[in-house]
Amino acid sequence: MSTLIVIDQAPYGFWTGREALDMAFSLAAFDQPAAMLFTGAGVNWLRKGQRPDGVGQKSAEKNLSAAPLFGIEALIADEHACQQYGLTESTMLPGVELVSNIRDVLGDHKHVVFAG
Amino acid sequence: MPNSLTFTLVITGAPWTSQAPQTALMFATAALSAGHSIDRVFLYGDGVHLASSLSTPPSDEAHWPQQWSVFLKKHDIPATACIASALRRGLIDKTEQARYELPAENLLAPFEIAGLGEWVEGSQAADRTIYFHGN
Repeated sequence: MSTLIVIDQAPYGFWTGREALDMAFSLAAFDQPAAMLFTGAGVNWLRKGQRPDGVGQKSAEKNLSAAPLFGIEALIADEHACQQYGLTESTMLPGVELVSNIRDVLGDHKHVVFAG
Repeated sequence: MPNSLTFTLVITGAPWTSQAPQTALMFATAALSAGHSIDRVFLYGDGVHLASSLSTPPSDEAHWPQQWSVFLKKHDIPATACIASALRRGLIDKTEQARYELPAENLLAPFEIAGLGEWVEGSQAADRTIYFHGN
């Protein structure tokens, strides 16, 4: 029974993304399969070289790069949103799976949780 | 699919900021009267404000924390506020008050404070987990 955590808002402006990330980490900590999908402005979580010092926050990029270590099975990004926000393989965290049809990804998971 | 389902409810929207707690309470009431059951309620993010014993709306307005408290006690449904969300937002029980040497506690009974493991467990125990978001 796999759970997909969906983030569709850019990092730093809202706390909901971080709390969604905690949900994914928590599933992994309890040995439950979890994956994350980034869509819309949420793909900016995956951008390399974030400098959050200016807004006094911890780096979302750093948190997210620990995801595979914590046992999160996949980081999935909406290809169309990546194009829209100018994200390419060279400007994105490594190991992200690009998909063109997120409907299939949603359908592949028993549980889907959208960041509040 | 069984005729009777078990639900876990997750509330992430705060009262008086969003309609999430109210919608969730209406859903829970309707679910019970239709013969379904609620495994547990989990408050996450801004939803933890629902468990504050200090909310004091004007007397002619609905009191969502009190209404939820009465509902939970009446039906003996366990309800938990996520500890990380709660501590950040100043929702404190006696244990955390002592641990962090804080001047007050404000957790409304029968809500309890615990970790995200409660949500993981609730999602496994229920047939459906329903999320009530603020936006």
